[in-house]
Amino acid sequence: MVKVAIYPPNSLILADLIERKGHTPLVLQKQIRQKIKDPEIDSPPMNITEEDPIKGLKYAAIEVPSGVRGRMSIIGPLIDDAEAAIIVDGAPFGFGCIGCARTNELSIFLLRNRDIPVLELKYPTNQDETYVMVNEINEFIDSLEETEGE
Amino acid sequence: MSENLCPKVNMGNEDWDPEVITRMIILGPGARVSESEIVGEFHMLGLPLTIKNTCYGSMISGKKDDVLKAIEEIRKLDPPHIFTKERGFAPGDPRRCRGHRFGPREGFHQMEKEYTILGYVAEALENPKEVTVEEKKPVKVDDFKEIMNECLEKNKL
Repeated sequence: MVKVAIYPPNSLILADLIERKGHTPLVLQKQIRQKIKDPEIDSPPMNITEEDPIKGLKYAAIEVPSGVRGRMSIIGPLIDDAEAAIIVDGAPFGFGCIGCARTNELSIFLLRNRDIPVLELKYPTNQDETYVMVNEINEFIDSLEETEGE
Repeated sequence: MSENLCPKVNMGNEDWDPEVITRMIILGPGARVSESEIVGEFHMLGLPLTIKNTCYGSMISGKKDDVLKAIEEIRKLDPPHIFTKERGFAPGDPRRCRGHRFGPREGFHQMEKEYTILGYVAEALENPKEVTVEEKKPVKVDDFKEIMNECLEKNKL
């Protein structure tokens, strides 16, 4: 079983396609659930603790706005755990949950720099492009199985 | 509106349990099963789950093993059209539930956008085939000049 990071990290289609092949998608909802079940936080995820921007320092410098660092404290551990990644680029506005263009850029940059297999795709707009996307994702996941087997 | 931003939550024991997870089951366009059929099937499994019927499919909450087992069983009804997704919040949580928030919940817009291509994804899973897409290339400058001159000449006449 390979842990696959996805981008956008809450994508239904990407997470589902990975799960169908028996691998684990690293989705944002799991991180959010940890926050919700933390008794120390009053009204998650509106509230973050003072620890969160500090954790974010691992991924972004101090000059980077605290919003980016706060977001990275949630997304960063997913990037650290990733053994492979699927990034969908050129998605229309509203596709994705980060709400911050700089965090998007930083997360994609960190995934590319992780030295793990990365599949980069364009968001499909019609049926043929969707076919291509699904085929490429399936081939990529099959190739992960092969490398895992070796 | 302040109550909308930070609603008070009385969470039960199950909500605090880190073993308990929530999953959304989303039916793609052209699914051969209905939302109520899926909910009925979940009940028939006899697993200790909280099941909620929703407009897009259903939502289940329970121990991780039970939830994954239920999803495996439910997928058998219509494998290409049944999609599942993790959810951080429990079903009906006032911080996310549409009924308490005066508007669509966060995450709805993402689902709405993805739903537009969900039918194509289901079709690709059901009838896999090789497809090649011609890449769009920019128009050559000479061609562009030719078209432009043609248009200008037409306008002169």
